[in-house]
Amino acid sequence: MHEFNWGLLIVVYLFLGGLSAGLFFAAGLANYLTVDDKPVYAKVARMGALLAPWPVAIGSGLLILDLGNWYRFYKLFLHFRWQSPMSIGSYLLTIFTLIAFVYLFAWLKEDERKWIFSKIPATWKQVHRLNVDISSWREKIAMVGFPFSIGVGIYTGVLLGAVSARPFWNTNLVAQMFLFSALSSGSAALLLAMLLDRKNPIEKHETKFLVTLDVVFISLELFIILPYIIHGQLSSQAVKDALTLILGGPYTVVFWVFFLFLGLLVPLAIEVYELFPSIFKGHEFHGSRRMALTAAGLVLFGGFLLRYIFVYAGQVSSFHRMGMLR
Amino acid sequence: MAIKKKRYALVIDSRKCINCKACVVACKAENKVPVGNFRNRINEERKGEYPKLSINFEPEQCHHCADPSCVRVCPTGASWQRKDGIVLVNYDECIGCRYCMVACPYDARYFNEEEGVVDKCTFCSHRVDKGDIPACVETCPSKVRVFGDLEDPTARIHELLSTRRYRVKEPQTGNGPQLYYLL
Ligand code: SF4
Ligand code: SF4
Repeated sequence: MHEFNWGLLIVVYLFLGGLSAGLFFAAGLANYLTVDDKPVYAKVARMGALLAPWPVAIGSGLLILDLGNWYRFYKLFLHFRWQSPMSIGSYLLTIFTLIAFVYLFAWLKEDERKWIFSKIPATWKQVHRLNVDISSWREKIAMVGFPFSIGVGIYTGVLLGAVSARPFWNTNLVAQMFLFSALSSGSAALLLAMLLDRKNPIEKHETKFLVTLDVVFISLELFIILPYIIHGQLSSQAVKDALTLILGGPYTVVFWVFFLFLGLLVPLAIEVYELFPSIFKGHEFHGSRRMALTAAGLVLFGGFLLRYIFVYAGQVSSFHRMGMLR
Repeated sequence: MAIKKKRYALVIDSRKCINCKACVVACKAENKVPVGNFRNRINEERKGEYPKLSINFEPEQCHHCADPSCVRVCPTGASWQRKDGIVLVNYDECIGCRYCMVACPYDARYFNEEEGVVDKCTFCSHRVDKGDIPACVETCPSKVRVFGDLEDPTARIHELLSTRRYRVKEPQTGNGPQLYYLL
């Protein structure tokens, strides 16, 4: 019998970590894009900045609770072990979360900032010194944050990919797969949040921007997943055996039907269908709200499932025949 | 006098194993292993159909790998390797992330729910340090197990590995496992 040492909390953690990375990346990008020196996607950038730190903060909290001795988590920061992806990742994630919170702060409006500080006791003088306007730093913070967001996206894959004992994970493609999936989840989450924000209805060019971004990331993800399977088939017996988990084994249906079809191909088709007339026929972009909602929801669903499948199937895969489900 | 290097290993003559599980029981008693967890096990492999059939018993535990992947992935250094090759867990440093369990190709580790830490075979290092042999080795009634120092030319395991054919399990993991199964 093979039991799972890592469960749903790890899945959620990897998903939320990636989500934050993707949100930050999309928001940072939106901040940089200008037309005639005017930021056209400022609303996207702000929404992304406001959302980005939360998933990773919640995810890290969950991970800590999942530890056998949660109160010892500080020991992660008493050591640096460069050979351990989890050690590197802990530092990476912490720095990224801090940057994301600073970025959020830089995007607060004057009155929001004042409101927050009004809740802090006036005697905490040191804290009140932080009540400064850093909105002019936005671009610089985004620039510093980009490599960290990419790093976090990659880390969620490397955590699994670096485990040589699990042939399902141990390929050089998992890191990129998780990165692109993270970036696509991020832009989808941003799209979803903007669509649901009724007070500031999303504008057409904003929908178009996020949908385009998502199409790019999903396509890149597909470009990694197909080689992952083909290359695995051409690899050593252990890797081939591991892939039977999704090629006839217990994870076949979730992988092909729920993840690849519903979570990747369907939203890709919807988004391409929406973009096509405006790109190739010169028509105006008419983003349908319902279509965009569906696509964004499905992308998030797919992103979660990818982590689910990898965390669980990977633990079953093994060089050890006794470990496999047969 | 130069300090002699040591490298502990275990030779297993699995054809002699009768699946009595005395080693499993001895280990549980010696190391106070929690109910439901085991540090060693006997794998069973059945072959053929009646009347042409055979069954093999193969004892297994932590391989005390030469290049242990459990140690490599541990974020706090709680999993570590002694100079004599024994791989141990420093329970005070272990945060219970279970990365090492996922990373062990031989599924040799278990999670101690009560303490929230990971544990596994220690080669009975507390006995070995006093010059004794591990409890499983001492108990085995059919003398399946031979424990010793690979660097010691007078050790029995040295002789066995020089004169007998053997295999290690899944060498392709790259971990350099140190349980030697005689053929
Ligand atoms: S068998 Fe597993 S637990 Fe033991 S040393 Fe090797 S990798 Fe580590
Ligand atoms: S569970 Fe303990 S020994 Fe294992 S990798 Fe985590 S901290 Fe290290």
